[in-house]
Amino acid sequence: MDSLKIDNLTVTIDNKTILEDFNLEVKSGEIHAIMGPNGTGKSTLTKVVMGDPNYKIKKGHIYFNDIDITKMKVDGRARLGLFLGMQMPMEIEGVSNADFLRTALRSKEDNFKLYSFIKELDENVTKLKMDKEMIHRGINEGFSGGERKKNEILQMHILKPKVVMLDEIDSGLDVDSLKLVGQSVMEYYQKQKPAILLITHYQRLLDYIKPDYVHIMSDGKIIKSGDASLVKIIEEEGYDKIKESSASVRHEK
Amino acid sequence: MKNKMMNKINIVDGNITEILDDSVKISKANTMTDIVQIEINVLKDTDLTIIYQNAHKMKFDITIKMAKNISCNIYELKLQGKYKISYNYVLNENSLVNIYKIHDVEKINEMTVIHLAGEKAKLNYLLKTISTDKEKYDVMVYHKAKNTISEIINNGVNIKEGSLKFEVSSFVPKNNIDCILAQNNRIINLTNHKCEIRPNLFIDENDVIASHSAHIGKCNDEEMFYLMSRGITMKEAENLIIKGFLLKGLTEYKDEWEKIIDKYWR
Repeated sequence: MDSLKIDNLTVTIDNKTILEDFNLEVKSGEIHAIMGPNGTGKSTLTKVVMGDPNYKIKKGHIYFNDIDITKMKVDGRARLGLFLGMQMPMEIEGVSNADFLRTALRSKEDNFKLYSFIKELDENVTKLKMDKEMIHRGINEGFSGGERKKNEILQMHILKPKVVMLDEIDSGLDVDSLKLVGQSVMEYYQKQKPAILLITHYQRLLDYIKPDYVHIMSDGKIIKSGDASLVKIIEEEGYDKIKESSASVRHEK
Repeated sequence: MKNKMMNKINIVDGNITEILDDSVKISKANTMTDIVQIEINVLKDTDLTIIYQNAHKMKFDITIKMAKNISCNIYELKLQGKYKISYNYVLNENSLVNIYKIHDVEKINEMTVIHLAGEKAKLNYLLKTISTDKEKYDVMVYHKAKNTISEIINNGVNIKEGSLKFEVSSFVPKNNIDCILAQNNRIINLTNHKCEIRPNLFIDENDVIASHSAHIGKCNDEEMFYLMSRGITMKEAENLIIKGFLLKGLTEYKDEWEKIIDKYWR
């Protein structure tokens, strides 16, 4: 059983507080969805957990299986099993997807086998309906928004992380690609039983990836948690109303 | 080096040998000084490779003339040695030249003057260099006719005792309409030594499309984060980015260049 635990985390960038006293635990086999209005710190959360050095942790800790990774560098966290499917994946010219993935896998696995790698890569490229030629192009070079998101999912399949964070993996995807990506994530979930943390704005992704827990974030913290039925309440009432009722509950307390 | 091209000129220790068909004519000046003078005339569509090796205390003065209505790829490899070299390119009407330059030298001071002399002449220029000592490149492009196009890309990685300088100047006089010119210069400086880029556009005509960019810095932080977020160490991530940067845009001699890159970043 693997677990990612975020303990009382406060994070700033340029002296502005983005996350405040943030707490969350995600265990193997659990799917957590974080929803919330723009600018509430959802993407920051995933970047901080991954180890983005641009953010300053003022207090609190991040644990992976009771190992304090708060000060660990990003590559160390990734080798432990953390993965972030990014909202806007970088384009890196000249570095081919194949070279990149091979290097990443070699960094992670002592027993790297080239033939198995090529076979698995080929299978996943086919399943995700990606152009096979893309794998020899520069990382995300000339890729559409949807192709970039599929490339993130491809990397997840190859690297087999224990904790999967997907930051708005649904943005830029058309209806068919959304279904394909959603089903691909669930296929990985069924096989590997990772801990999954999804950031999304829309219910449509959750039609395919069924969360066990839904959290609503506002002003850098979780203001409400519940099961998948919370998504329906968000759709009906909107974030503002939930935020107001959450504030009045806190006030009454 | 493999003999990939039909047309090939080797300049080793100042001695010139060539394998050329009827698309390229070469004339060498018989000089008693330490200046090597060469004139190359490209007469038909072709590819030409020029390999320089082990130049020491020698100066090169090279003129390359392109006939009308032809296209040519020129691949230049400069390896070892200290170079002082001046180029003079003349592109006549409707000629196209793609220049690919790969440099792994000790020191170099290179001056390139390009004359886009005839209408619709087009130049694509790509330099890749690994700078370990003083390297200075001046490129001057004269759009002497209407509807001419130039794209200059200078890419260098500065290491060890290197200090690298690119100065690129493009000129368009009044009335030479419909010209397109682009400059793209980037240095990844892995030292504390000074590197410099001076991109200049001297344009005296309104009906022109022009752009220039200059960037000096370490490897891009966001690219590093992306690669490292997949478990790749900082050193490996840097190696991948540099290798990609140095290989991007090259079509030939990639294997040879990759071996050279591996010497520095393995």
